[in-house]
Amino acid sequence: MQNKINEIKQYVLGKIKQIKDLKDWQTLRVEMFGKSGKFTELFKLMRDVPAEEKGKVGQILNNAKQEIENLIVENERKMGEEELNKQINSAEKIDITLPAEKCTGSLHPRTIIQREIEEVFTSMGFVVEDGNEVETEYNNFTAVNVPENHPARDMQDTFWLDNGQVLKTHTSASQNRILKKYAPPIRAIFPGRCFRNEDVDASHENTFFQLEGVIVDKDVSVGNLIYFMKEMLSKIFNKPVEVRLRPGFFPFTEPSFEMDVKCPFCDGKGCPTCKNGGWIELCPCGMIHPQVLKNGGIDPEVYSGCAFGLGLDRMTMLSTNLNDIRELNSGNLKLLKQFKIK
Amino acid sequence: MIISLNWIKDFVDLSGIEVDELTKRFGLSTAEIETVTRVGDNLKNIVVAKILSVENHPQSNHLHILKVDDGSGAPVQVVCGAPNVRVGLKTFFCRVGGQVKDMKIKPVKMVGVESNGMCCGGNELGIEADTSGIVELDDDAVVGTDIHDMLPVDDVLIEIDNKSLTNRPDLWGHYGIAREFAAIFNRKLKPLELDDLSAYNNLKKLNIKVETKNCFRYTGIAVKNIARKVSTPLIKLRLNYCGMRDINMLADLTNYIMLELGQPMHAFDNAIVKGIKVIENKQPIEMLTLEGEKHEIAPNSIVICDDKAEPIAIAGIKGGLKDSISSNTTSLLLESACFDSATIRKTSRKIGLITDASLRYEKSLDPELCLTASARLLYILKRIDGGVKVTSSFTDVYNFKYPKIKINTTAEFISRRGGVNLTVDEITNILTRLNFKVANKNGDLTVEVPTFRATKDVSIREDLVEEVFRMYGYDNIKSAPMSMPLTPVDKIATHEVEYEIKHALSSRFNLNEVHSYVWNYLDFNKQIGITQNSVLHLMDSSKSGQAGLRINLTPTLLKFADENKNKFSEISIFEIGRTFDELDQNNLVKEKKKLSIVLASETETDKALYFKLKQIVEFLAENIFNIAIEFKPNTNCQAWLHPVNSCEVVGAGVSAGQFGVLHPSVKNKIDKRKHFASLELDVNALLNMPKLQTKIVPSSKFQPVSLDFNFVMDSTRPYAELENVLKNFKCAYIFEYSLKDVYKNDQQLLNKTSYTINVTITPKDKTLTSEDIEKFSARFIKTFAMQNINLRT
Repeated sequence: MQNKINEIKQYVLGKIKQIKDLKDWQTLRVEMFGKSGKFTELFKLMRDVPAEEKGKVGQILNNAKQEIENLIVENERKMGEEELNKQINSAEKIDITLPAEKCTGSLHPRTIIQREIEEVFTSMGFVVEDGNEVETEYNNFTAVNVPENHPARDMQDTFWLDNGQVLKTHTSASQNRILKKYAPPIRAIFPGRCFRNEDVDASHENTFFQLEGVIVDKDVSVGNLIYFMKEMLSKIFNKPVEVRLRPGFFPFTEPSFEMDVKCPFCDGKGCPTCKNGGWIELCPCGMIHPQVLKNGGIDPEVYSGCAFGLGLDRMTMLSTNLNDIRELNSGNLKLLKQFKIK
Repeated sequence: MIISLNWIKDFVDLSGIEVDELTKRFGLSTAEIETVTRVGDNLKNIVVAKILSVENHPQSNHLHILKVDDGSGAPVQVVCGAPNVRVGLKTFFCRVGGQVKDMKIKPVKMVGVESNGMCCGGNELGIEADTSGIVELDDDAVVGTDIHDMLPVDDVLIEIDNKSLTNRPDLWGHYGIAREFAAIFNRKLKPLELDDLSAYNNLKKLNIKVETKNCFRYTGIAVKNIARKVSTPLIKLRLNYCGMRDINMLADLTNYIMLELGQPMHAFDNAIVKGIKVIENKQPIEMLTLEGEKHEIAPNSIVICDDKAEPIAIAGIKGGLKDSISSNTTSLLLESACFDSATIRKTSRKIGLITDASLRYEKSLDPELCLTASARLLYILKRIDGGVKVTSSFTDVYNFKYPKIKINTTAEFISRRGGVNLTVDEITNILTRLNFKVANKNGDLTVEVPTFRATKDVSIREDLVEEVFRMYGYDNIKSAPMSMPLTPVDKIATHEVEYEIKHALSSRFNLNEVHSYVWNYLDFNKQIGITQNSVLHLMDSSKSGQAGLRINLTPTLLKFADENKNKFSEISIFEIGRTFDELDQNNLVKEKKKLSIVLASETETDKALYFKLKQIVEFLAENIFNIAIEFKPNTNCQAWLHPVNSCEVVGAGVSAGQFGVLHPSVKNKIDKRKHFASLELDVNALLNMPKLQTKIVPSSKFQPVSLDFNFVMDSTRPYAELENVLKNFKCAYIFEYSLKDVYKNDQQLLNKTSYTINVTITPKDKTLTSEDIEKFSARFIKTFAMQNINLRT
């Protein structure tokens, strides 16, 4: 028996030297331990071993089997490793510093800022409404309490159209429709393109974007407005901001405020963005005028609300360091292509 | 508007409050302050001096050599170019070492003659408008007195943003601002010193007739024996500090009252103007204004006429030339009036004449101020020109009185709106400081609005919320979170889809978003040979440059492509915007939200660009709108599209727009080197198309079989005909297909095109036998043959 075992061992060692390919190891295993493998045959001889020697011979056989198996596994592993190393070392060295193909598309910077701001509002439970660009005189002026003789209604300030409508002068033109559409409590923002009949220069445009919002519920207070604006602006500027209210005047709110934010670019120390004043005038706002609520079908005895506007163009210019508002409507691809999609 | 802090201090004691604190609190409680400027501290070592002698300069025909006594002892020699030098004249003299604004005075030689100091002009010092010579002081000025001891030249000038005073007619003069400071800092406002007009009640009335309801109040009073021609140095100083020019004593006085009280006044020469008639003109009237400019007063303006019905002033805006006071005037008819704000504004805009008076009248002034202003002017006039005598009663035509406003509210309401609990006492205290009268009956407050706030500014209880909290300090209001019910938020499809499209086009198709204007560019359209017939037009296109609103987006995008053509070889831009191409039965516009794309390339072919657009359309249809669309021949091709290589996008029988290669004539006018394609789709139309239901193909455990077929079809027939057969092919197996290859070779294929179609069939319940496959193939080929599409042989 021992002789036979040695014979097989020698055979295996010889075979191992000849093996060139990883798949040959399986062949060798079958040759040894398959149904009619060399070793399997040896086990078959156990039948003839006298009962008193069976234990001893069995152990010898098992040890031998283990030994051969280990030989196969160990050499297979070595060969596998060598082959992997060969693959790695022969691989083409790819120069990853070469440029990859770039996404050359871009969103308009206004779209990027608008989306960011919208997402802050939707996270706070606001619906984002879509307004018109041409509005009726009623929606643009009368519904939001702009008096009959107000200069804003003059031809010199507003683009009147030959059918009696106007290119909307402010996003507030959507307020009436939105107040009517939703029952309180209301949380809505409405971004849109607005128009003023004025001469265009680096800081004045006749076509610009605003984003306006309203909150209507029972007992909305100035304290609520301050809280909300602070939270919202902190999210937009991605850091806690300080705000302050100053008196303002708009026909659609009473009281009306100008909201300043402590300059988030210099933390109020003074920089070119805040013209060294430490504060940036950012956001006209106020408590919705009771007449505006009434015109929107909401009882001002029961409900109150606040409204606020953000100049999207101004926000865009603040965050991109653009200093000529005309660029935004220019189609200047040298500029616009520098923006990405976020 | 410029406010002199010294002037304010005539009316309210602000001692102990720093200027920074004053302006900060004013800005937070009342109106925006633009600039704060300290003046006067750059006038140094300037004293009263007397000219002792005047000699001509030997080498100059306009310079003089003076000896002046500046109170320091020996006469000082100074060279002076002013024409009004004369022996005995007292003037302001800056000694060597002194300073006149930015000018430091040193000993110099002027054309060879030594000069030790400078005689100062009023304009140089900033205390008078006059630029013609040196200051002429009264004889009683004491030689050697410092300018700071004679005049309050040290001052703080506060410039307030006019826009932030739009709604506050009461703040257009110093007294109103002083009242505001008094309220903010809880100080006492001193009453104005006034002449007692009732003393003239027995004198005869002036002949004043008012024939228009737009003149709310017209008052007049006549004065004679006016001797003084020149204002006092203080009046001149204040006018100049506040940005006006001194002219002559009477004109200066009316301006002084306007700056002090906010009430514009006008002085007519009583020797010429005997009576007043205020009319609303029906016809245009021509008039020469004070400065001698001819203006045509548009109809429906308010015109002041004399008793001969000759126009003598444009009410509330400007006086006329011939009847106004001059330096010869010795008797005066003083107008103090109130007009309808809108009428004044309209006339002012029509004439193109915006004046200090019109700016104030536009804000709806308090008519009660008319009397105060006259009484104040007479009070000052009597003190600076002792001999004047009033010759008429205060004649008052008061046509329209604003109603008295009383507002009912409670402390509870005001507290609730502000979000701060205030007591009745706290509220009463604040409102009283602002001259409101508060009556408290068991907690129900009745608040009477002072007349100067009652012309438009304060009328409802919410206005009182503002008054109370701006004085309480907005910065003292604590921020308070609000609670709202948890309800799902609507998404507005037209808005959401806009961003989804933009994101896909930029991130997936490498397009660049642009924003443009909503009007047509006639010149550019003409240049590329297209017309756009706008449905809507701007009534005033002087500032936009264009009148017609766009009915398509693409022409503007072509303009952008044109502007960028020399900077880029490849252009791919898009915009989502509105077009205005249809009116409804009420004559209101039906706005459409449209997407336009323009592609231009020097490397890609027309075909490649056309297919890129098709890929985009299909992507949008499948992945954003989830709709089925077809590409149909273009029946109503847009002028800039290629008549053959363009198509219409149709879904559920409705057209959503067109795309295609650009018309060669348009393309050649923009850029001959580039290929162009454009697209314009109606986003709303796409949104309104029926949504597709996703149909799931059941999976099978049996082996699929893949087969290739080469069909040939006449080259004139579109691939869609072949695909139609595929789409409609009925089969018991799971049937999938794709187009693998298109081969066109007219000579070899005799004007036919070959299409390699790969078909995969998967049985649902058994394994396919070769017999099954043969049967399938035969039926498949036969179906095509029926449409005259045959296997390539």
